[in-house]
Amino acid sequence: MPNRRSFLAGLLASGMTAELSWADAGGPSHLAAAMRPDGRYVLAGLRPGGELAFTQPLPGRGHAAVAHPTRPEAVAFARRPGTYALVLDCVSGRVLQELSAPAGHHFYGHGTFSQDGTRLLTTENHVASGQGRIGIWARDDGYARVGAMPSGGIGPHEMLRLPARSLLAVANGGILTRPETGREKLNLATMRPNLTLMRDDGEIIDQVALPEALHLSSLRHIAGFTDGRVACGFQWEGDPFDSPALVGLYKDGALRLLDSPPEATRRLAAYVGSVAALPDGRIAATSPRGGVVQIFDPTLGFLSQSPQADICGVAASGGAGLATDGLGGVHHVGKRLTRIGQHDLAFDNHLVAI
Amino acid sequence: MRRLLCAALLALPLPSMAGVGAVVSDHILPAHAGFAAATEELVTASAACQRPQMQAGYHAAFDAWMGVSHIQFGPIEAEGLSLAIAFWPDPKNQTEKALGRLIAAEDPAVNDPAEFAEVSVAAQGLMALESLLYGARDETPYTCALAQAIARHLAQSAARLEAAWRERHAALLMHPGPENDIYTSQTEVQRVLYTALSTGLEFLHDQRLGRPLGTYERPRPTRAEARRSARSLRNITLNLQALQAFATALAGQQDMPKSRAAFAEAIARAESLDDPALHGVADPAARLRAEVLQQGVAAVQRAVAEEIGAGLGVRAGFNALDGD
Repeated sequence: MPNRRSFLAGLLASGMTAELSWADAGGPSHLAAAMRPDGRYVLAGLRPGGELAFTQPLPGRGHAAVAHPTRPEAVAFARRPGTYALVLDCVSGRVLQELSAPAGHHFYGHGTFSQDGTRLLTTENHVASGQGRIGIWARDDGYARVGAMPSGGIGPHEMLRLPARSLLAVANGGILTRPETGREKLNLATMRPNLTLMRDDGEIIDQVALPEALHLSSLRHIAGFTDGRVACGFQWEGDPFDSPALVGLYKDGALRLLDSPPEATRRLAAYVGSVAALPDGRIAATSPRGGVVQIFDPTLGFLSQSPQADICGVAASGGAGLATDGLGGVHHVGKRLTRIGQHDLAFDNHLVAI
Repeated sequence: MRRLLCAALLALPLPSMAGVGAVVSDHILPAHAGFAAATEELVTASAACQRPQMQAGYHAAFDAWMGVSHIQFGPIEAEGLSLAIAFWPDPKNQTEKALGRLIAAEDPAVNDPAEFAEVSVAAQGLMALESLLYGARDETPYTCALAQAIARHLAQSAARLEAAWRERHAALLMHPGPENDIYTSQTEVQRVLYTALSTGLEFLHDQRLGRPLGTYERPRPTRAEARRSARSLRNITLNLQALQAFATALAGQQDMPKSRAAFAEAIARAESLDDPALHGVADPAARLRAEVLQQGVAAVQRAVAEEIGAGLGVRAGFNALDGD
């Protein structure tokens, strides 16, 4: 007796395009790449309560995923500097498409869909010039590569849509790497990270950076508030004991760091792994190196912190936040951190809301 | 291979809650009581502003701090006191700058403990006191009042930590569960303790030894901790002994022969180094012995990870080591 899921999978396989939604994939609210105890890799769907909605196999270690706004379809990137990404049907587990970065490019592991879900945008390195690119892929045309536009800097990392302003925000981390030297950082002396806001067609609307003295602070992870403000998480490339505050806010055309006492800043070990813009207006920032999640008020700065080993993924969820760690824990981020799920998985860097 | 490794790990006994009880009653509580007592004596020793007495009080307080400096979780984290007690590493000389500002302005905050708690943390603790007692600065009534304010602040911080552990945190650590505000399971307690051990060893290896060692081409002797009071090596030795006691208590009934041997070897190397401020890192011949000590600490890190960490299911961070 075929169940609903295999029936639907059959439909897909036979080429019938039933209007599937995320509910058909077990109703996940978030996606995260993960490793199973046997060393195999999966893409996991999580429900708001911390339960697993699904796991679907990945061929190698994933990084971040991008969820289609309506269809139960996810793009899973290899960790950087990877050259492939997979489009997964999260109901059947079927690989709908394999994306290869065009010759001379590699992915940085993040991307986003356009508001209407017709275009996939990916952060990429144009290796020959070292300049960042945003790759454009047509979802309804079998994810054909249809173009690219400059990212506005070197080393674009996380990017997102700011729905309220129909703009794209790109964290240009500023660090030049080349495939033949892996993750080796080639331009620390001259790096100049920025946050770039652009229209869908690539027209740059605003570009902001921290003061020159903080040029070693690499902007890598961002999260958008509904009013267009952008929470920013930095990684400090200088002496870790000389780190400036690592969480910032883009607002009214300006980027500033949020106040944080030196004790709290040191706790981050010069490294913010993810940020989330929480629905109540606060910002959550994780550091797997410091083993801590910190909460910031956009005006007052640092508010509180909760220790949690290897925590990294964090995203808004309902009225609060959801976080994942490398030991399989799923946590509710409220006034404090509360464990709501524990799975036999090591959750990878990022948790993305669907 | 991975399966084999997992099977091997499962065969190791887990440190029991008895281990946690020993960590608390034999290690954390007495060490905090010792730090509170030593800083209280520092206040007394500072009363007459006589440098020799104050220097002796400073050394005793720093010795006691080395007994607790690896306990970076619990009250010290909740109250954010770690840097206020010892602001190090300090690559931008913030302690000197903060002291300079206070002295230039003759800031009256030194007369009021509540106000002094609000000045830069870089000027509040042991490193600031070291600068006053061993630096080239002129001694004035104001610098005397400043040193006394630091002593009082240290004593106050140590007393707060001691009380917080004795009155509340010890019980929280020993009785995890769903009703516990901080530790919901025994596994969580053991991971927190093990993380303190491995982080303490890492700090010893990378910072206390790694900073002054720098590279062979560019040694950095002026980066040694507490070098002006010539206690860089003493801190390393005491830190190793404290970590050894902590590891022993944590392992409880479980034997840890490799860790025991590695600790003994590293401590022996530290004790035979005879280079109090680690000046020798800049001398190719003497440098080798500091490098050998650092390798000894690395051997402790490996042994502890194998004999204690693996049994707790603590693996190297999936995300922490990935970098992104």
